[in-house]
Amino acid sequence: MAKSDGGMRILQGLLVFGNVIIGMCGIALTAECIFFVSDPHGLYPLLEATENDDIYAAAWIGIFVGFALFALSILGIVAVIKSNRTLLLVYIILMLITYAFEMASCITAATHRDFLTPNLFLKQMLERYQKSEADNNNDKWMSEGVTKTWDNLMVQNHCCGVQDASDWQKYTSAFRKEYNDADYPWPHNCCVLNDQGSPVNLDGCKLGVPGFYNSHGCYDAISGPMNTHAWGVAWFGFAILCWTFFVLLGTMFYWSRVEY
Amino acid sequence: KPALADETLGGRITASTFVLKQPRCVFDRLHEDAVIWLVVALPEAVANFSDNLEPGGPGREFQKFPQSALAYMTLNTTILNYPCDTNSRDITVLRVGSETRCAKDTSRPTCNGPLPGPGPYQVKFLALNGSEPVAQTEWSDPITLRTAQPSTSIPLMDSGHSAGMIALTAILSILFAILLAGLVAML
Repeated sequence: MAKSDGGMRILQGLLVFGNVIIGMCGIALTAECIFFVSDPHGLYPLLEATENDDIYAAAWIGIFVGFALFALSILGIVAVIKSNRTLLLVYIILMLITYAFEMASCITAATHRDFLTPNLFLKQMLERYQKSEADNNNDKWMSEGVTKTWDNLMVQNHCCGVQDASDWQKYTSAFRKEYNDADYPWPHNCCVLNDQGSPVNLDGCKLGVPGFYNSHGCYDAISGPMNTHAWGVAWFGFAILCWTFFVLLGTMFYWSRVEY
Repeated sequence: KPALADETLGGRITASTFVLKQPRCVFDRLHEDAVIWLVVALPEAVANFSDNLEPGGPGREFQKFPQSALAYMTLNTTILNYPCDTNSRDITVLRVGSETRCAKDTSRPTCNGPLPGPGPYQVKFLALNGSEPVAQTEWSDPITLRTAQPSTSIPLMDSGHSAGMIALTAILSILFAILLAGLVAML
């Protein structure tokens, strides 16, 4: 029995170590998801207007799963050290439930990321930017959100349109309905602005003189943070789940070996 | 022959404006008092175009273009504004269609207003001394403006799922299945 006892000790040690890692990763996951939910780049209104903000839902689930993992890892450590069958069983079942939730979060984040294409944002920008007539309050709220977000995006990132400034010329838009083509070939926020926020050279901007307007597209500025967000939730969660898989398998094995 | 401006200008052709190169070093031996006009016409009016009609007069009003006036004249200026300076690196362009304020003002029939449709249009420069045509350029090639596609035509085709997402889903599902199997075996 001494040999298997030694084996059990090693397994206990490994399980405790595994649970410590799970606990720390749980905290990290919570922190990461809180960071994403706080929307440091101000892009949430764009997602809200697509009426599909699954990557945010995934991040919210991530916050709670992170806490759960931390709490359960403590339970796991206690259960392994005490070799208590009931506690171990409770641990395994609760961990499986948490596992299922985290799986849902990862898959949601990864799937929704594939949904966020340039055409989606292009269509949204054209249909909502500076849209004045609204169908209902919700529609108005979404259009205002999109307008404000795009104004900030264009000014801070010195960009125009989704692919480039000619998006405003290639397609009809709500903006075009409000503002005529000769005075506003593209929104004035696409112009190079001075400190007061007015165009440095409005005629140069309207002509499209390189240097007086921003012709580069904003898609990189949008997709960069969103990709980080989605992949951060999805792949970090995946890594945690892979590790948790092994710890759980080990715990199940340990449970079956623990004497009553 | 009048030509469109350089392709580096992003606003070279829009839905209602276009940008021409200024006629520098084109008119020589022109009297300082002569007025150079830009004539904008529909291609069908080019053949029978009469240089003698008064700019802004009947048949030449911008506001009636293109229904009853098949051409109009605008951007009048003297040769002094088109100095022939081959060393200058200034951007020398003319934006046709930039004056929106007088577009509906019938008291300004020589308004440089936005063009009413995608065209095509042909232009030439005509120098008048009083009401006598003294010099002109050839007609330009037909210029067609941009037509905007409706934004509803942008395809939102279901982007295929990326390989990463499929791998992630598959692996996680398998792992979860193994865990559940293990739980069942355990109990």
